[in-house]
Amino acid sequence: MYQLTGVTKLFVKGRRTVTAVQDLNLVISGGEWLAVQGRTGHGKSTLLNLLGGLDRPSSGTIDFDGKDLAKLREGQVTRLRAESIGFIFQTFSLVPTLSAAENVEAALCPLGVRAAERRRRVGAALDSVGLGDRARHLPGEMSGGQQQRVAIARALVKEPTVLLADEPTGNLDEDTRDEIINLLEKLWRERGLTLILVTHDTTIAGRAQRVGVMSNGQLSISQDTRHRTATESMTD
Amino acid sequence: MFFITYLRRELRRRMRQAVFIALGLALGIGLVVTVTAASAGVRTAQSDVLSSLYGVGTDVTITGKAPSPRSPGSGPPKGGQTFQVGPGGAQVCENGKCHNAAGTTTDNLVSGSYGPISQSKVAAVAGLKDVKAAAGGLAVTDNRMTLPKNFGKPGSSLPTPSSFNVDGVDTSHLSLGPLSAGTITSGRSLKGSDAHSDMAMVDSGYARSRKLKVGSTVTIAKKKFTVVGIVAQPQGGNPPDVYIPLARAQALGTAGPSGSLKNKVNTIYVTAASAADIPAVQKEIKRLLPHDTVTTAASLAGQVTGSLASTAKLADDLGRWLSILVLIAAFAVASLLTMAAVARRAGEFGTLKALGWRSRRIIAQVLGESVTIGLVGGAAGVGLGFAGAAIISAIAPSLSATIASPTGQHISSIGASSGAAGPQNFSPTVTHTVAVPMSAVVSGSAIVLAVLLAIAGGLLAGSFGSWRIARLRPADALARVA
Repeated sequence: MYQLTGVTKLFVKGRRTVTAVQDLNLVISGGEWLAVQGRTGHGKSTLLNLLGGLDRPSSGTIDFDGKDLAKLREGQVTRLRAESIGFIFQTFSLVPTLSAAENVEAALCPLGVRAAERRRRVGAALDSVGLGDRARHLPGEMSGGQQQRVAIARALVKEPTVLLADEPTGNLDEDTRDEIINLLEKLWRERGLTLILVTHDTTIAGRAQRVGVMSNGQLSISQDTRHRTATESMTD
Repeated sequence: MFFITYLRRELRRRMRQAVFIALGLALGIGLVVTVTAASAGVRTAQSDVLSSLYGVGTDVTITGKAPSPRSPGSGPPKGGQTFQVGPGGAQVCENGKCHNAAGTTTDNLVSGSYGPISQSKVAAVAGLKDVKAAAGGLAVTDNRMTLPKNFGKPGSSLPTPSSFNVDGVDTSHLSLGPLSAGTITSGRSLKGSDAHSDMAMVDSGYARSRKLKVGSTVTIAKKKFTVVGIVAQPQGGNPPDVYIPLARAQALGTAGPSGSLKNKVNTIYVTAASAADIPAVQKEIKRLLPHDTVTTAASLAGQVTGSLASTAKLADDLGRWLSILVLIAAFAVASLLTMAAVARRAGEFGTLKALGWRSRRIIAQVLGESVTIGLVGGAAGVGLGFAGAAIISAIAPSLSATIASPTGQHISSIGASSGAAGPQNFSPTVTHTVAVPMSAVVSGSAIVLAVLLAIAGGLLAGSFGSWRIARLRPADALARVA
């Protein structure tokens, strides 16, 4: 799925150059769940942005299913994001003026899906996160957990192959956190997703197949065999 | 449609800001519409004045070169009538012959304002490319003056000339020239068979003031003309007082210093093949008649003075600049507020980019919002414009238009050579001041202008925001949310 070779990301802040990601080599298989941990400012979110094509590396290659994200044109990366990559953010990032259903629908707009088909898929996505009855509610009328469920439905409605989650439970209480992680795990298993999840929470990280720790822009991976891959689960 | 839903929701969320921007644009656009309406009203008033002078459908008017002012102390002009006042009393000189003028009454038909043009030039002008029709006319003044018996003696007062304007009209081309704009209120119009008759039409205003009606007579150059019709010209104009057949005006009139007006006209009314041809026609005529004055309606407006001219200048200069300034301010405020709104929504746009929205889709969304605000502002601006125009129409006083025309008479004072003033000449000028009603009417083109300005304002405001969006990197935008 992903093959990162010698990926470095530098940021220039005034006269200072900050290395967010340094000479990173990483392979992520399809259907894998990788958790990335690390202290704030050590490059976790930058890595996620690079994997999602939201940012470009200063050097190195990011191979995504045979395409180098570093070399694709902006329009091609945008198209790739629209079709294959789902995002979940810590702050939910829902459009406050749009209802739950419309927020989910926003993910289908770039794909040119017909209105009727959009409505069907939006309904199914909201049902899959248990919010079928909240379709018309605005984000402000929902709890944090419900908003994150809408964000998950929005990320999954386009049926992506990769789900990138940046601290998806960071703004939630413990019960809701477990609820969301259980949901993500369920969807990962059911859909054979490649899930890359950034978290501070060791409990959550421990549920992933592999855990990487970012420190000063470098990633060290530890193998965890508690889970089988999503693909393996589905073939049972 | 998602675009509309998103647009509607977003505008509702930013209702107060949207209303503020729309009101700013409305103010600017309303001012433009009001000024445009006022300008149109002034133009209509000018047009009324001008069309009554030269008739409806006249695009270009040719007038003979005005006689040059005589130099002080020069001899009596040939043909014209001159009063000489000297130590020996007053003398009236005509065609070089002078006699004692005290106690006499003179009545002359003089082409004082314009020099004569050969009548053959009318056909030459009519034959020019881009000219649809041409007709000759003779704008003359009937001057009557009774000199006091002690005129010229020390302590005597100067005579006050009374005059009225007479137009010699081509009875075979009545659709061109001053009669074309009039409405016959009584009797009939002149016709081809009147060409050599002493028949006249009288302006309704003049008829009222002189108690003339169909069948009355008017004396022109000591000849009695029978009134066959009364004609009313558009309100606000300065129409001739009496219309007589061109041939009769030519026979009776004199061209001041230049003598007889036989086979002469002093005005040619021209209709161009189309409005776009007017400049070309003007050029062609200039080539054919290089010494005469070629006037279009636009240039003629410059000859009108009085509060009408002042208002036209006010509307054109102050009004236009004020509108432009308010519009610039409104556009600037709208642009700044839109940019600020885009900056506040950076995270939202970053999310949409993460979802796979192209920049141009987001830009279209922002442009849609700002153009919608612009259109609402435009609609409110049109409303304000109508209100402004109504207020102007309700409270604006009547405007006055003053048009000066020389009488064609020349009065020279020889005086004592030792006199402080020395010998002096002067030509009495008759000025006509007419009241023109001022009404500001919002035209269709003003509404179209308002809509275009509204769209332009919206696009301008949106384009600044769009510029920011285009430069927005998704990772940076999302970082603002985190």
